[in-house]
Amino acid sequence: MRWDWSLLAPEYLLAGWAALMALLGLWGRLRAYWLGYVAAAGALASAATSLIWLGDRTAFGDLLAVDHYTTFFRVTFGLIAASVCLISAGYVERFLRHHGEYYAILVVSVIGATYMAAAQELLSAYIALELLSFSLYVLASYAKMDLRSNEGGLKYMLLGAFSSALFLYGLGLIYAVTKTTHYQGIAEALAGDLGGTKGLALLGLSLIVVGLGFKVSAVPFHMWAPDAYEGAPLPVTAFISAISKAAGFALFLKLMVQAFLPLHDDWSPLLASLATVTMLLGNLVAVHQRNIKRLLAYSSIGQVGYLLAGIAALSPETANAASAVLLHLAGYVISNLAAFACVTVYYNWTGKEDIYEYRGLAERAPFVALALSISLFSLAGMPLFAGFVTKFVLFQAIAEADLLWLAAVAVFASFVSLYYYLMVMRQMYLVEPETRERLGVAWPEYGLVAVLVVAIFVVGLGPQPLFNAAQEAASLVYQGAATFAALSP
Amino acid sequence: MIPVQHFLLLGALLFSLGVYGVLSRRNAVLIILSVELMLQAVNINLVAFAVYLAPDEFVGLIFALFVIAVAAAEVGLALAIALRLFRNRTTANVDEVDSLRW
Repeated sequence: MRWDWSLLAPEYLLAGWAALMALLGLWGRLRAYWLGYVAAAGALASAATSLIWLGDRTAFGDLLAVDHYTTFFRVTFGLIAASVCLISAGYVERFLRHHGEYYAILVVSVIGATYMAAAQELLSAYIALELLSFSLYVLASYAKMDLRSNEGGLKYMLLGAFSSALFLYGLGLIYAVTKTTHYQGIAEALAGDLGGTKGLALLGLSLIVVGLGFKVSAVPFHMWAPDAYEGAPLPVTAFISAISKAAGFALFLKLMVQAFLPLHDDWSPLLASLATVTMLLGNLVAVHQRNIKRLLAYSSIGQVGYLLAGIAALSPETANAASAVLLHLAGYVISNLAAFACVTVYYNWTGKEDIYEYRGLAERAPFVALALSISLFSLAGMPLFAGFVTKFVLFQAIAEADLLWLAAVAVFASFVSLYYYLMVMRQMYLVEPETRERLGVAWPEYGLVAVLVVAIFVVGLGPQPLFNAAQEAASLVYQGAATFAALSP
Repeated sequence: MIPVQHFLLLGALLFSLGVYGVLSRRNAVLIILSVELMLQAVNINLVAFAVYLAPDEFVGLIFALFVIAVAAAEVGLALAIALRLFRNRTTANVDEVDSLRW
């Protein structure tokens, strides 16, 4: 067994950076504002480092894979963390205490997220999942003196712990049936004759789906999400909505393809029905929301529905659906971060987060209003914007997998989502403002917002590079699965 | 030797008790306690599987060790968050904590 430590260089970098952030926080001479930039630099550096190890190798005796799939997510997570650190800079200095630890925990959570994507084995996947979840629990309840943050954090923590216990019980059952914890070994065992243990395997699989459903906030396991989103400090909400979904689906996709593809006919209808209720309920309940954080929470639940539909459309033959899921995940993350960056800028100015408080924003801060509109259009999936391309590819993949009805539900849900996004824009552009006083200019945040908006258009108008990257990553996951397909009768 | 089914039954019972506790208890500390029950049920399962089904390998045992460590961390974290809430609200009852509503 070869132990190639260098493969994990990006994670060593992150761990070192987290320690550095905690120390810098103690030092106290650096303005809290700059800590955000230092943390963002670390996250970017780790994303850049991961590009050096483009290749297809495994580390630690097949526990972790360092391949295009991992690299795709390393870069995604690195960029998410960097954006969130930049969003945080102003907010954290103003509203939170213990700045160094805040960034340290944020950086550590990226390690967990990466290993969720890299894991090839259930135990590693579980530890990585918990590393990410624990960091997010702490971050969600970071505003110690704020009752809403306490409450959101506690609900998130209790339901999260409950769901990981369910997940773990499922892992135990799968281990009992297959006598291994490696994805490939599980697939080989499941492809063979299960005899009387098939029921046990299906029970384990359903528990795993329920546990992961909690983590990515799929209906009916979504109850924690709106509360945690509303209670958590704003940049943390942005972070949870981006990284917990991205990492959750990284693990979900790999697990379903590499380990559970032999049971495809059993879990596909289950996930299709989960996806249907998630899309419908998420988007319909969002219509009633008055708080922008809750609105974005329910809209992200709706997005999870589309992604789940993509997972339900996975097929043993082609990797189309898998690459479509990755593509939409990237598009969703970019648009969502852009929306949250705008919301945070507005909150830093005014301390307000109700939708009616956005009235007349177009006159008071035209750039923020425009950027927020663009990101909401992208989330709704309007042409020109990233959301259109990624949704189009995803829905096409769903339709091609003989789930035409599911694609129809997804299109309907998208129309519903357009309605409530437009309601926010109506407040900003058509309603008279309270005062005509111009709000200031927050240059650093504006820079980030501009980059994200440009990214939305780049993906929307020229999606080919991202599409290729997603396809390469997805085909790699399938390579592992293909070897067992040859084995099975 | 005791048949493996006995251990699995014990595990399933303990797990169900934990699930029941999480769903019925209203005190945050008791909910955390119930989650711990669920995790210990998983451990009993894992160790039983490891000893009876794959006696030459240690995967199940190692898994159980990791679960113990994670469970300890989880309790610490959950109690810290519950304590924060208690300091601010002087209640650990999740029914009374309802400032966030849809």
